[in-house]
Amino acid sequence: MDKTGTAVWDRIDISVRQCVAWRFPARSIWVERVDNEWHVLSLSPEGWKGGIRREPVARSQKPDSSHWRHYLHKEVGPVQPVPVLPDKPVVVRPDRALTLLPGQAALFFLEIPVWFRLCTTVPRQLKIFEEAIATLTKTWFGDPITGELCYGLATRLHQGIDSVEPSAYLAVCPLSITNDSDTDLVFEKICLHVENLNVFRSSRRLWTNRLNVVFRGPDQGTQIEIDHDAPGFEKGLTLFSEARQPAAGWNIRKTFGILKSFADF
Amino acid sequence: MFIVQQFKMWIASLPPDILARGLRIALTVLGGLFLVRVLAVVTQRYIMRKSTAQRQMIARKAISYTGFVLVVLAVLGELGVKLTALLGAAGIVGIAVGFASQTSVSNIISGLFLISEKPFTVGDVIRIGTTTGIIQSIDLLSIKIRTFDNMFVRIPNEKILNSEVINLTRFPIRRMDILFQVAYGQNLSRIHELLAEIARVNPWSLDEPQPVIIFNDFKESGIEVLFGLWFTQADFLELKNSIMKDLTTRFRSEGVRFATPNRTIQVVEGSLTA
Repeated sequence: MDKTGTAVWDRIDISVRQCVAWRFPARSIWVERVDNEWHVLSLSPEGWKGGIRREPVARSQKPDSSHWRHYLHKEVGPVQPVPVLPDKPVVVRPDRALTLLPGQAALFFLEIPVWFRLCTTVPRQLKIFEEAIATLTKTWFGDPITGELCYGLATRLHQGIDSVEPSAYLAVCPLSITNDSDTDLVFEKICLHVENLNVFRSSRRLWTNRLNVVFRGPDQGTQIEIDHDAPGFEKGLTLFSEARQPAAGWNIRKTFGILKSFADF
Repeated sequence: MFIVQQFKMWIASLPPDILARGLRIALTVLGGLFLVRVLAVVTQRYIMRKSTAQRQMIARKAISYTGFVLVVLAVLGELGVKLTALLGAAGIVGIAVGFASQTSVSNIISGLFLISEKPFTVGDVIRIGTTTGIIQSIDLLSIKIRTFDNMFVRIPNEKILNSEVINLTRFPIRRMDILFQVAYGQNLSRIHELLAEIARVNPWSLDEPQPVIIFNDFKESGIEVLFGLWFTQADFLELKNSIMKDLTTRFRSEGVRFATPNRTIQVVEGSLTA
């Protein structure tokens, strides 16, 4: 069954000895239910051009692999695939260096690849497994002693939602940046703590909370506000998955990668 | 019969409270050591639960040593040994013992320096000379490490204080430097591009800080290249193995030649004369 929009994330009842595959551009995930076990295989097939879809797979056509993982589970009933954001912060590198002049504000739309999580639904929602469905690089944000391990993502900063192609595995993150300092804000990368963000769903797209970032100067902290409501750029958004670590109120964090003081020979 | 008589006489010569005193000594030893043990365990597991393994170990040993000394002093007191005289004699004995155990004293003082300076803590991976391993304990006389091939190594504190110690896990990320030579006569710009690409596609290499690629030196057989990749501590082995494979595979497929020792002999016609 071909799935368009975000229908690939619909709840599904997988009966005993039935196998279902979720296909994404950079990863395919096969899930088979065998009595009290879930058998899961995750592969990165090269050259998959079939689009994003969910499809039943005949048992005879299951990939023959030694990488099948088995999860013991006694829950019965339908399962719910859930898009969740990565488990570490994401350092976004815009496709072009951007300068925000003092006193100016701008709104951008970023696309962040989600992870695939499969949960039981009855009698309660329990995670069976989760997988990254797009390969992100590993990167380090900050100095080599106090920095943090993040995922790296090179992406385009969209200035309007119309230029963002609807996707079932890329969550759109509205990012508002205000330069409240006396200096130009030149940023080549920005660190987003996506583990603090929810995922919302419409019929066409996945969304995250809107982030409002206020830059007060290179020596000051950057204020980040997470808008707890669903972003208002599309109607009918519903909360689909909650943040891994809910954030409370305002955060002050080092967000912009302005200083390049290390990694010299 | 003679032996029994002798035994009875010996019993009769003992002070009348000998049994009670013996019991008290036994209770002091058993109870005292038990109390010390309980105190050390409670301190480590509950009171200092959130402290580092290093601090827990120091607290446990401080309690154990102090408790042991107190138990010995209590037993000596029970035996009627005058502690003031003993402490006076201890000064003289201490000098004699000190001369005889200079190395041990040096190790103890070095141990105190190590504990206060904290160049490493329990659980760190260190390299001293040719020995690399995980620190199991830091004691007054020595540190104990477990090597990666599962050998127990004891290194005296004095030696550590006088040696260069490399702490491999002090900082969260490190750079792996790979030195190799490429043969002369190849396109160095292309090699630079290839190395950058190898680093970019490797899942265990960090893309920031950026990899270091330096054409280091003109060597006898080729140009020496320094290829430095940043990684997190946990990814050391995966990166090491994968990058070596990537380098050889990509270089072979792109026709890049590693340098091998070679000699070019030019024979000029007529230069060889008998």
